[in-house]
Amino acid sequence: MSTATVTPVTAVTPKARRSTSSRITLGVTIAAIVVLIIGTLTTDGFYSLANGKAILNAATIVGIIAIGMTYVVISGNLFSLSVGVTAAVCAMTFLWALNYGMVAAIVITLAFGAIVIGLQGLLVGTTGANPIMVTIGAGALQEAVATWVSAGVSVYPPEGAIYAWLAAPLFGIPFPVYVFIAMTIIGELVLKRSRFGRSLFLMGESPRAGRASGLSIATLTTGAFVVLGLCTAAAGILIGAFNQSGTLTATGTLTVDSISAVLVGGTAVIGGRGSVLRTAIGALVVSAIEDLLLIRGFSTPVQLLVLGLIVSAVVVLSQINSGRSNR
Amino acid sequence: MMIRRTERSGIGEARWPFFLTLLLAVVVVAVPPIFGHAASLFTFYNALQSTACLGLIALGLGLTMIVGEFDLSVASTYALGGMLAVKFGGGSPIVGLLIGVGACVIFGLVQGFIVARWGINSMAITLGGSLVALGITGTLGDNKSQSYENYDVGVLLNNPIVGLFSLRSLTAIAMFALVFLLMNLTKLGRGMRATGGGRRASRTAGVRVDAIITGSFGASAGLAALGGVLQSFGTATATSNPGLFPLIFAVTACLLGGVGLTGGRGGAWGIACGSLTLALLSEFFSTLAAAQYVSSLVTGSMLILVTVGASPLIIRTWRESRARRTTAVPVPSAI
Repeated sequence: MSTATVTPVTAVTPKARRSTSSRITLGVTIAAIVVLIIGTLTTDGFYSLANGKAILNAATIVGIIAIGMTYVVISGNLFSLSVGVTAAVCAMTFLWALNYGMVAAIVITLAFGAIVIGLQGLLVGTTGANPIMVTIGAGALQEAVATWVSAGVSVYPPEGAIYAWLAAPLFGIPFPVYVFIAMTIIGELVLKRSRFGRSLFLMGESPRAGRASGLSIATLTTGAFVVLGLCTAAAGILIGAFNQSGTLTATGTLTVDSISAVLVGGTAVIGGRGSVLRTAIGALVVSAIEDLLLIRGFSTPVQLLVLGLIVSAVVVLSQINSGRSNR
Repeated sequence: MMIRRTERSGIGEARWPFFLTLLLAVVVVAVPPIFGHAASLFTFYNALQSTACLGLIALGLGLTMIVGEFDLSVASTYALGGMLAVKFGGGSPIVGLLIGVGACVIFGLVQGFIVARWGINSMAITLGGSLVALGITGTLGDNKSQSYENYDVGVLLNNPIVGLFSLRSLTAIAMFALVFLLMNLTKLGRGMRATGGGRRASRTAGVRVDAIITGSFGASAGLAALGGVLQSFGTATATSNPGLFPLIFAVTACLLGGVGLTGGRGGAWGIACGSLTLALLSEFFSTLAAAQYVSSLVTGSMLILVTVGASPLIIRTWRESRARRTTAVPVPSAI
């Protein structure tokens, strides 16, 4: 049950790695196109500007969290099962912090998200504790503390607070979409071009090799979780601005949606391989599928069922394709 | 001159969960009077009722942890088993029970086969499985709780026996005893621990690793489903979405019960003690009339604490310190 499965690492040439990466990118793009074609041919109202915007809106929040989740998965720490709760708590924090002004509210919320999730990363990185269990426990703790502090009631922004532009359209496109695009570009650049990003890949591919080459597992793991915290906080801010109220139940299936986006984007669940850009496409695919099912009148459980089948299929195919086995 | 003491057997490790359960039992009796409340025999009856359902999930999850895997879908199969039993057990509860448990066993076997056949990370594959099971449960239940009209079954299951037990808790105790006996009196237990301790070496030694892993997932789903069936019949309601609480309970109970995160360690006795400890803790807060979030706060903290306690760093540090202690026992030299 190792979180970062230690496997014999075969020599993978940069050329072979690029080839695998191109194949996955092609697969994800084809999947996206297939979903769009099926949706357009079979469902009235799917191919319309209004629905396109709805898909983009849904993909934005899922995608922003999934960007952070990509860092954690690539680092070999599986995923966090509490981002939905953290995003809801961040939305509540943002709306409360608007009492101190817009900029302060954003800074406080980002810091809150980074600290709450970063601490989980610190715990995982320094002790080697199982990330799934730590994040589940942290989720329960956040829920309990949020209920205690808020007395179980919704949080509303102060009268006259100026924040609605965060969810409003800009040149016809919702502002969160710009945030999503900007974060995707920055996330991809940091992952692929920075030393931190490259170290994450190495650590995810083989923690032993990473340790042998002088990488600090604790620092890198904490760093990956801090990125997830920042992304979750950003999503929380946008959720709070859109809903204009904050409750613990506001985020629904956000956790599994974001994990699904990462996996559909071809990021290896055992770490060492992945791309923020593909995760963004994965978020679009997941949102398009959910939208398609919603238009066709299927309930949330059916959406979960389909998402579960997709996640299972992607995990199996991805592992078979990678040739890295736990056997 | 130094001498080396012999390594303690695994029995010693299983004592701690039992002592912890005893400690909690004492706390439940002794502390509430200080705050003007009092525990009764019914408090312990309730703890056993909780253990009957949630403890079976822990037992199932624990089996997969012993073989070095992890079944994240136990909370979902718990809900699925209960929903299937309610939906198909209207005429006969036995039929509902068989369909609920049987379908989930098959579901678990499929997950186990995938994990064993392709060596896929079990947390990832059971996350997908969890969504599938939750989706089926929600679809069957129309995304809401479903009531079970045959109230006699609930009365039969919950009727106190000697004031402390019930058919529900006795069924769970029988399952724990069965797993205990299977793991200690047959080759199965050794095979499971060997599989969790070192998969490749076990395979080389002739252990049927793939069958054991597949079977563990089948048993895990079946036990979780049985817990769900007992809960649904006992409360005459099947829930569509149990949330994460059953999973949190199960993981914490396993870790408190001495099941190792890296596999190869643990057993039914320890898991039973871990489950009862958590159930007693929950009853403790109920007796004190504490708010629901207090219980969540303590459960979440406990999960993080036991997870960190079972982490490689802490285990390594503890082993090193124990090794230093045991090797540093001076023996008077002969003159």
